[in-house]
Amino acid sequence: MNGSGNRAATLVLLVALIVIWEIAGQLQLVAGGTLPAPSAILARIFVDRADYWPHVLATLRTSAAGFVIGNAIAILAAICFCVWPFSERLMRGVNIAIFAVPPIALVPVLVIALDGEVARITLAALLVYFPTMTATLSGLNDIDPRTADLISAYGGGRFRALRMVRLRAAVPAMMSGFQVAAPAAVLGAILAEFGSGARWGLGTYLLGSLGRAEPDRLWGIGVTATAIAGVGYGLAALVARMTTGVNRAVTMAPEPPQAGDAEHRMRSIAMTIAAIAFPFLVWQALLVISQLSPIIAKTPLGVVDYLFFSNASAVAQQKLLAALAETIPITIGGMFLGLAIAFVLALIAFAAPTIMNALLPFALITQTMPLVALTPLAVLIFGRGVAVTLVITVSVTFFAAFVVLAQGFALIPRAAFDLVDAYGANTVKKLWLVAIPASRNWLFVAARLAMPKALLGVMIAEWLATGRGLGNLLNQSRGYLDYGMIWTVALVSVLVAVALYQLTYAVDRMTRPR
Amino acid sequence: MNLNFNRRHFLKTATAGAALAFTPQLARKAFAASPLTMQAAWINDAEFCGYFTAMAEGDYESAGLDLTYLPGGPDVIPESSIISGKADLALTTPDTTIKAIVDQGAPFKIIGAQYQKNPIGIVSLAKAPINSPEELKGKTLAVPPVNVMSVEAMLKLNGVDAAEVNIVPYAYDPTPLIKGEIDASLDFTTNVPYTIEQQGEKAVSFLLYDFGYKTYNDTVVVTEDVLANKRPELVAWLKASRAGWNENFVDPAVWPPKFADTWFKGTGRTIENEIFFNTAQKPLMEHPDGIFAMDEAGVAANVETLNSIGIKATPDMFDTSLLAEIQA
Repeated sequence: MNGSGNRAATLVLLVALIVIWEIAGQLQLVAGGTLPAPSAILARIFVDRADYWPHVLATLRTSAAGFVIGNAIAILAAICFCVWPFSERLMRGVNIAIFAVPPIALVPVLVIALDGEVARITLAALLVYFPTMTATLSGLNDIDPRTADLISAYGGGRFRALRMVRLRAAVPAMMSGFQVAAPAAVLGAILAEFGSGARWGLGTYLLGSLGRAEPDRLWGIGVTATAIAGVGYGLAALVARMTTGVNRAVTMAPEPPQAGDAEHRMRSIAMTIAAIAFPFLVWQALLVISQLSPIIAKTPLGVVDYLFFSNASAVAQQKLLAALAETIPITIGGMFLGLAIAFVLALIAFAAPTIMNALLPFALITQTMPLVALTPLAVLIFGRGVAVTLVITVSVTFFAAFVVLAQGFALIPRAAFDLVDAYGANTVKKLWLVAIPASRNWLFVAARLAMPKALLGVMIAEWLATGRGLGNLLNQSRGYLDYGMIWTVALVSVLVAVALYQLTYAVDRMTRPR
Repeated sequence: MNLNFNRRHFLKTATAGAALAFTPQLARKAFAASPLTMQAAWINDAEFCGYFTAMAEGDYESAGLDLTYLPGGPDVIPESSIISGKADLALTTPDTTIKAIVDQGAPFKIIGAQYQKNPIGIVSLAKAPINSPEELKGKTLAVPPVNVMSVEAMLKLNGVDAAEVNIVPYAYDPTPLIKGEIDASLDFTTNVPYTIEQQGEKAVSFLLYDFGYKTYNDTVVVTEDVLANKRPELVAWLKASRAGWNENFVDPAVWPPKFADTWFKGTGRTIENEIFFNTAQKPLMEHPDGIFAMDEAGVAANVETLNSIGIKATPDMFDTSLLAEIQA
């Protein structure tokens, strides 16, 4: 293959896409001119350039701090979970809760409990934690078991295996985590700036600009945010590329044997109970430490009381059930759609990296452009029904799943292709016979990332565009200072996400080849 | 009610102490003045111009206050800031504040009202005007979810069935209105018509207030605890803030440009927009008894309106005694 030729092809395709966008913008083809032309966006950034610096610096500082802190904690946690697998089981509920709790429920609480900048960095770090932790853990665990066998045959313990094999093998996966984490950190910083009354930051600038009905300004802010995230993404991708080749196994390892389920059933049930109870203990403990007023801060028992034993219970239950009935079906639909699109994109990245490299900047925009800025465009094109909900859900789910799947395809041992190559297989055959079966584990990792995000996407769409379901209920209860309902919706959305997450484990186990 | 202010208070004092070490010229003043923190309802715009003017004029300092100003935002619930002790007083919407008093037993008192007439209203395009609740029938109206209850109440007061209006969420951006995707939106009538005119359209609007939904807005709210312990400071704040607003309204076009490089720098909005806003809000704030006034008729109208939507407001939630002190 000719590397510089590929790069030229990518460039041509990228330019072609931008030209199409330019024409669509100039001729006001999309939603009556709501999609501005790239040239108009750049011109507007130039006009506004004096405004940008303090905002960009503030967002850079917040997102960089969140990126570093969130990733450091994520990597340490992944190492703990790998060395002591019981700790992963114990923390699973906490981990998913962190990932699944909707920022629209979280930010008001962070803003009350923490001071300004600390609240903003915390949100960025929280959004970074889960993708990096999951990716790193799967990298640490997904080693060629023969290498670990070698270490133990020579008398090495699990720490030696960690140091000599697992950490090295985990670098590409860790980098794929960073690739998701970079836009997540930027988005976290911007969301927190947007909501928290920060004086500076792209989120603040966005909020002030929203009321102007000037899409070129909003897109300018989005493109700037994407550029910041793109630097982080690009660095992680570079390291991933440099390390993937070194670490790729030459031949495929047999499936590791599964632990016998029966003998550990009792312990397994105990672990599950502990995993469920642990987040509630953490929740209770955080409230005790933060010393918030009981009016604002509901404890687990407070939520139970609100939902079942207070005089508001009947109304609250009715509202909640009605909202869930609207939200859950579309969440499941959105999850599958998001995963399917991620899979197709990952296949494109594998079979035709030229095309994917050109598409990537556009994919990145969807991750860092706050959805509130895209809502007018989305409702003008897709209306305010199921279509807009699915589009928004896909836009928040596909990226993390795509990065994980693409990394999975890239890690397929080279020798695995030799046989089919020898029989003259074309790219499609290669995909069908080798790449797709080999990516099975990665598909479940991707599904685990997509599940809670799908719920989040649906809630955001309900909050911004359709005015229905759980997202709307949350937003209304925020407005009415109905703290009981705010905590209830946050809890229920986490529980739903955890249930969906566990479902992927169950499906994974049931469909695992024997 | 057990509110824990201690940790915050300690942190704030510690931070203030650290800041003072670097700003010796401020030290003398700060030790003499009483600290007071206010939580605004939104980001820096003309809605809060009077407070910026009072700060620029040194009104708080001469009243013996060392004022800290916290801007608001979509995720800042002003009432939460005073419950958590982050701020001493907050600018709120009276319906949420009173709902919190009734439903959650929150220990709040309303001690003043910035807007005599709530500026929220129904905004539509002049080429497809909607001038009354009746004309909303069969139309699509974008409303921020927190205001849905107010809009439904206003419709009911005017004999319009809420089911006949298609209510969708409003997310701060007037583009869908300008493009005709929605027919009208609920917004500050002091603000969004300017934007619409900048985009080459004319806007028409009516206030919910003028159709029976008679509430204040940006009510000045404190906890009972702060009211008991910081009464002199609160009275001083009302007095200084009133002076700032009076000065600001002498000519609404004068003060916003002066804040172009401070309060309004880089907010994403324009100074012309702030002047429009400042001018439009003047008649909604002025009262014969002065800015923040809460006369008997006004309180009664608020109570009646809120009762009509099932929020059990009572006149004793409004404490007019501090205003009486500055009147004297």
